Amino acid sequence: MNRSFPILIGLLLVAIALVLPLFMGAFYTRVLQLFFFTAGLAVAWNILGGFSGYWSFGHTVFIGIGAFSAAHLVSQFGTFGTGPASMIIPVLLSGAICGLLATILAYPILRLRGIYFAIAMLGVGQVVSELVTNISWFGGGSGVFLPSPVPSGVRPEPFYYYIFLGLLVLSFALAAWIRHTRFGYALLAIREGEDTAMMLGVPTERYKIVAFVLSAMLVGFMGAVYGYSVGYFTSSTVFRLDFSLNMIVFCLIGGIGTLYGPVIGAAVMLFITQVLLSRFLDIHLLITGAMVVGIVLLMPGGILGFIAEKRRDRRASHTAEEGTT
Amino acid sequence: MILFIQTTLNGLVLGGLYALAAVGFSLVFGVLGIVNLTHGIFVIAGAYGSLWLFVNLGLDPLLAIVPVGLALFAVGYVYQRTIIHYAISRASLVASLVVTFGVAMMARNLLQIVFGPDFQTITPFYSFSRITMGALQIDVVRVVALGSSLVLLMILALVLSKTHFGRAIRATAQQPLAAELSGLNVKRLHGLTFGVSAAMAGASGAIIGIVQPFSPASEVLWTLNAFIVVVLGGIGSPAGALVGGLLLGLINSYTAQYIGSSLTTAMMFLVLVVMLLVRPNGLLGNAFGETR
Repeated sequence: MNRSFPILIGLLLVAIALVLPLFMGAFYTRVLQLFFFTAGLAVAWNILGGFSGYWSFGHTVFIGIGAFSAAHLVSQFGTFGTGPASMIIPVLLSGAICGLLATILAYPILRLRGIYFAIAMLGVGQVVSELVTNISWFGGGSGVFLPSPVPSGVRPEPFYYYIFLGLLVLSFALAAWIRHTRFGYALLAIREGEDTAMMLGVPTERYKIVAFVLSAMLVGFMGAVYGYSVGYFTSSTVFRLDFSLNMIVFCLIGGIGTLYGPVIGAAVMLFITQVLLSRFLDIHLLITGAMVVGIVLLMPGGILGFIAEKRRDRRASHTAEEGTT
Repeated sequence: MILFIQTTLNGLVLGGLYALAAVGFSLVFGVLGIVNLTHGIFVIAGAYGSLWLFVNLGLDPLLAIVPVGLALFAVGYVYQRTIIHYAISRASLVASLVVTFGVAMMARNLLQIVFGPDFQTITPFYSFSRITMGALQIDVVRVVALGSSLVLLMILALVLSKTHFGRAIRATAQQPLAAELSGLNVKRLHGLTFGVSAAMAGASGAIIGIVQPFSPASEVLWTLNAFIVVVLGGIGSPAGALVGGLLLGLINSYTAQYIGSSLTTAMMFLVLVVMLLVRPNGLLGNAFGETR
């Protein structure tokens, strides 16, 4: 299997995704839109959490900052034109703001490791959310508006479907590129042993910060677009603990630190919760919890880790048989 | 001045509860090295257990500490010996974080199904009486809550420092391998530690029930509180939990009084983040030394 094979498969999937909305109803378009959004978030989380091993439990803070930045940019400087083009500048600037804040935040907070980093990020998420809610200038308590960029005559579901698809492809391409560069290998080295990596000359501090900022910017873009797709939101709409947790859970189920894991995890979980169990809203937590526990106990490497293990086993038994004959 | 003293008093009472709710978390963190995200569930389960006993049998919440504590001890022991032990031996310590988180989600959902998602309170006969000292006022329940928290913390501290069982737990925490070589059954001790942790959490839940409203969703808050208390005070010791708990209670009530009641959570987390950056082992450090 050569290296262009996965790229071909990927292009094929994207092509299918491009034409799908023509044949689907609004409900399934929305489910797939949600899938692209959450899978994109998980891919972005994975750049920091999966590759470098820094599990952020508060990544939703960048969804919130992204969405609120976009809303404030629009209310301060006008709508930047009409139609889909009006989104471009606010979304890009919001992502940049997230990146800037992440850079400032990174210096102190990335000194913490493991569980302490995780909980500190959770704390950052809570603090920012409360500040945005309670300082009236931010308007997080009463809510803020974003004008709809959907052109007239187009239904909103397919419109955001394509935008989130684009963002997922962007995030995935970036993650894939990172994974195969020197930078990506350095992040993996940090995950496996930060002190060793440092000793071997990896500029750990700078690389961690770059990973954190890239991850935050991607989440910020998606947060801003999410803000547009909702139209009106308060801080509890965007600073949602379950966003943060879903990013982790999806990566975990698919296979943390792998390239395809977050997307597969998001697909599996959304299929189970949104399609199979859409009628049983009150036991969603139970199902998600059971999935998480089951995955960690039965296949600690996630779905992809499980497949890789099985394949290794088969190969091992293969060579063993060849050895005996 | 009166306002300041009153605020301090309220903060100390709240702090006693935080300390009791967190001490088990701290113990498990120190001895097993696990961050148990199910801890808040133990607290809330204790509150619901005592509510059930109060409504159905008329048992006073303070007496309910005993049956609730025993029941949660059993739950904690079995939980550690089965799920947690399996998760650690198969995957890693970080996996235990995720597993306990998953179990917490399931348990919260189950509590919601059984007891409903609404806030509940336990109201024994003394819940509306107050003690007045000059201009200061304090609810009887709060005095009772602080008193019983301190007594339970004291008992735990004595057990840990004076008894054979306590010595065994401390030995296990410092050097698991050496403890095993000296003939201690480390696996069983880990289970027992977890049981004690759950029992203390359940006891705190029974007391919390008479002071504050609670709902299945408040478990997240209690888990986070426990974490903050441990980061403030130090890992593994009742004294650390008490220092951290009282500090957290004071921060909470001063913020509510002088800055704004909606900013308490933000302030708590701000202190947490700063503390993590400045002194991640807490004011009293790790009770079990530098081994971990």
